[in-house]
Amino acid sequence: MLTAFLLLPLAGVLMIAFLPKDREHEAKYLALLVTTIAFAISLFTFVWFDRSVEGYQFVDRLQWITAQDAGFTVQFVLGVDGLSLPMMVLTGLLTVAAVLISFNITLRPKEYFIWLLVLETAVAGVFLSLDLIQFFLFWELELLPMYLLISIWGSGRKEYSAMKFLLYTIGGSALMLVGFLVLGLSAGTFDIAELAAAPPAEAIIPLAAIFWFIMAAFLVKLPVFPVHTWLPDAHTDAPTAVSVMLAGVLLKMGGYGILRIVLPILPQQSLDFRMVLATIAGFSVVYGALITIRQRDLKRLVAYSSVSHMGFVLLGISAMGAVGLSGATLQMFTHGTITGLLFIMVGLVYDRAHTRQIADLSGLMHRMPLIGTVFVVTGLAALGLPGMSGFVAEITVFLGAFGPHPIATSFAVFGVVLGAGYILWTVQRVFTGPMNERWAHLPDATEWWERTAMAGMLASIGIVGIYPRVLTDVVNMGIAPIAAVLGGGA
Amino acid sequence: MDSIGVIIGFYALAGLTVGAALLVFLVRNLLHAVLALVLAFLGMSGLFITLSADFIAMAQILIYAGAIPVLLVFAVMLTPHASRDNANSLFAPGGLLIGLGFAALFVFVAMATVWPVLDVETLHVQSFAGTVRTIGAALLGDYLLAFELASVLLLAAFVGAVALVREDEA
Amino acid sequence: MNGWESLHFIGPALTLLIGAIVVLLVDLITDRRAATAGLTLLVLALTATYATVHVVLGTSGEALYGAVVIDRFGLYFAFLLIAITAAVVLTSFEGLDRISQAGEFYALLLTSCASMIVLAQANELITIFVALETTSIAQFVLAGLGRDDRSAEAGLKYLLTGAISAAVLLYGFAFLFGLAGTTSLAGIAHYVGTGPEGARLALTMAFVLIAAGLGFKMAIVPFHAWVPDVYQGAPTLVTTFLSAASKAAGFAIALRIFYTGLGGGDTFISQDWAMMFAVCAALSMTFGNLAAITQTDVKRLLGYSSIAQAGNIAVGLAAVASGSTLGPSAVLFFLGAYTATNLGAFICVIVVSKRIGSDDIRDYAGLLRRSPGVALVLALCLLSLTGIPPTAGFLAKVYIFNAAIQTGHAWLVGLVIVAVLNTAISAYYYLRWARTMVLDEPADATAFHPTLALGSLLAAMALAVLFFGLNPTWLIEAARRAAETLI
Repeated sequence: MLTAFLLLPLAGVLMIAFLPKDREHEAKYLALLVTTIAFAISLFTFVWFDRSVEGYQFVDRLQWITAQDAGFTVQFVLGVDGLSLPMMVLTGLLTVAAVLISFNITLRPKEYFIWLLVLETAVAGVFLSLDLIQFFLFWELELLPMYLLISIWGSGRKEYSAMKFLLYTIGGSALMLVGFLVLGLSAGTFDIAELAAAPPAEAIIPLAAIFWFIMAAFLVKLPVFPVHTWLPDAHTDAPTAVSVMLAGVLLKMGGYGILRIVLPILPQQSLDFRMVLATIAGFSVVYGALITIRQRDLKRLVAYSSVSHMGFVLLGISAMGAVGLSGATLQMFTHGTITGLLFIMVGLVYDRAHTRQIADLSGLMHRMPLIGTVFVVTGLAALGLPGMSGFVAEITVFLGAFGPHPIATSFAVFGVVLGAGYILWTVQRVFTGPMNERWAHLPDATEWWERTAMAGMLASIGIVGIYPRVLTDVVNMGIAPIAAVLGGGA
Repeated sequence: MDSIGVIIGFYALAGLTVGAALLVFLVRNLLHAVLALVLAFLGMSGLFITLSADFIAMAQILIYAGAIPVLLVFAVMLTPHASRDNANSLFAPGGLLIGLGFAALFVFVAMATVWPVLDVETLHVQSFAGTVRTIGAALLGDYLLAFELASVLLLAAFVGAVALVREDEA
Repeated sequence: MNGWESLHFIGPALTLLIGAIVVLLVDLITDRRAATAGLTLLVLALTATYATVHVVLGTSGEALYGAVVIDRFGLYFAFLLIAITAAVVLTSFEGLDRISQAGEFYALLLTSCASMIVLAQANELITIFVALETTSIAQFVLAGLGRDDRSAEAGLKYLLTGAISAAVLLYGFAFLFGLAGTTSLAGIAHYVGTGPEGARLALTMAFVLIAAGLGFKMAIVPFHAWVPDVYQGAPTLVTTFLSAASKAAGFAIALRIFYTGLGGGDTFISQDWAMMFAVCAALSMTFGNLAAITQTDVKRLLGYSSIAQAGNIAVGLAAVASGSTLGPSAVLFFLGAYTATNLGAFICVIVVSKRIGSDDIRDYAGLLRRSPGVALVLALCLLSLTGIPPTAGFLAKVYIFNAAIQTGHAWLVGLVIVAVLNTAISAYYYLRWARTMVLDEPADATAFHPTLALGSLLAAMALAVLFFGLNPTWLIEAARRAAETLI
């Protein structure tokens, strides 16, 4: 089942690759078909997932590389637990949305959809891998499609941004590989479950060093201050669908990695450095929010708000307790849907107005009530209005983190206030006020694919907001063993 | 073996060899350099004689002091347009310094090492009469492959030399 | 052991040598280049068959008074070298690239390959030296075979640096012989194993000199100065051969001398030479990558990249000191993966350079539009050189770094950190090149295609890069079994 989820996009890649040149515009339908089936698989998995059992389910296992007595046995293991399942669903959902929102791509459409599907496989591989080397493989595999998607179909300084994204990520993940290899040596296995069951007590280099080597990759990906500078550039210059994928799932790879690998395998070091992480998190939230307020470009604004929101994830993690960790996981999921949708809205506005300068946009609500309304609703979800999924996640993070880190949490709460400020202010400047005559002829979101994407994303935000148990049930199952390793906590 | 004559002979010949080798790159005229090279080779064959390696000493004289300088002189004489200046190099002072440094290092290592030296009795028993026989046996015995491979080396060098100097017919 | 059996043991190399002479003779009779090239391929095929016979029979043991051994290690390299030579010969069908003397070219190629196979089998210092020199002489001439001054300059430069490094190597051998009193590697291993008093300094001197001499072949810093000039000046066919075969042979003999002769892992000096290789590795990677960033000529860029890659392989040499077979098997696996990748990249460069008449990286703009197949293979090879999955280069790097870390020495973890950070640097210039091909607008959009032979060769390389990236077990197993015979 999971293997099918992983390989389906690749099958789509093959089908698209063999499309004749004169039918290349049909690539999008193929891509939509494939991603929808993949999404359906992820939903089935979600439904069938046994919510009463901890640990991995639907495990597919294969010996991939076996080198006898060479200390290098790598498995190909896929499995989901309460932690990876939401991420899997998120990946399925956002890829469908990304494909839908890309229906108007006309430049080299075959390649575009091929890379989008490869990206889905890579990201899904990261979320489902249960072997360190395999995890690393998918982690690196994701670079290539992202690089190409940004540098071919992007805008502005796209090549610079793509290269910056690439170098930051490779730099971070390079150290991660060292950490993985040392862990593998100490424990004699690369299997994540086995490593978590028996965390190594010592290694040939201090475990603290391993901790930071591995964290380097995840913190860059998350991203947090001060290694966040690639994010605004990459977001701003990426095409809409890629921004959606980037904000929606790629950033989650960082948080997911911390939860899946760092906390269970290096629990003592995680506890030792929780203050450092909390400080970084609090700083990121406030810094991200302050920078966001100053942005004049709509897309850059959403991008910086991601830095702030991902700070919440790290804050929840740094609480090192069941509540904080569930909060972090929820925040990852909801940020994925909310910010993903925000990027879709920004993309829709840009497609019509061909500008993202906030100063140029005004009174758009008159011409595009649907886009305006969805934008406002999403914005409210982003600032954590009760009844939306964002509220559930943030409140859980704060509940979990306030005990261990009162100061950082207070800062983060202040970040929420700032968040309310910049979102409302943006909505006011862009959608209300006098209508600029320049925009008198802009159409609203009329295409079915635009509406479908918006509706699907809104639905997920609403469902989780109103009935969070649908998600928390699963998440708690995944968090419980990690929290147990960390010694219960708050 | 440590008779005083051998020791004096060794140092004299060593001095001659090194001095002549220095001359090779210090003199300005290429032909003089070739002559100094001959002298260095002669000194080296003298060193072989102090080691009782008479065959090697003879071969050294025949090939290195005899045949190769002739070739060198031919090469110099047959290229009339080329300068016969043994050009000075900018790097000479630095190179000399590095060279002296390496020499000092090697001397130090050689002195500091406990070499597995054969004792005098063994050497007295050993016959130095038939070194040709020993060398021949080694070349066609233990080192047969290396010996035969050397002919491949010569063949490659020969083919290569012809290929490199041949004018294009095309 | 009788004479025939001895000849049987060096049979593959002997086949190549006889083949070389036949090629020379046939070249006298006919002027048709296809005939000589075809004959060369036939000789290589025969040799490969012979080597396969050895594998099937499981031949092992010493021959010719212990001058050579036949084992899986030597055979692994024999296959690698035959494959490289065959690839170069196949590529030459596309055109001989500034070389006018076809017969000599093929004959020297075969001679060089033969002596490298002997080198990989050699078990004794004098045989090693003569085989190394035979290889070198053939390669000096090959580098100078082009019909212009640049090629002549490359050949001369290669000859001079090669001569000096040979002298250095010989000096190192002399030290070893003086200490151990024997030229056989087994004898030296025995001597080193006894942990002789007062010989540490001289042994150190010996292995530093030997590493310096072999470092020239492996192209590691600080013995790399010839690489960019020779790579750029020599005919690209020859550069291809040098970058793959010469490097592989250098590492083969380094493994043989250091692992077998100086005792991997369990002797009192192995830590010392492991450290030396670690320093060389770090320098090579850092220097090679930093220098490659500013290059605009693709052959120079590949030259510097090959220095950096040699640094990666030297990480494996440093790991050899652990005494387990993981270090050497990682080197062998890396060399296998690197050979396929590097050959692919160079053959693409040959194809492109022939059509667009330039080696400037800017002229690769829009290659994807002009020749999609070539561009895709080249891009794949560049990804593999960077070490991005799902290519062989990714696993090769992971495997060799793993070998270094598995030794359990903290300082090797430090070396791996240097190595992985270098990977990030290398990503910049490899991917910039790939980007130029994929993204930029071509100045001239005429499409071109490689010939069928070259096209299939490129496809084979690309498949190998992908196959070993996805299913490396076979090659890893082969490398491991080869490494096991080394002790």
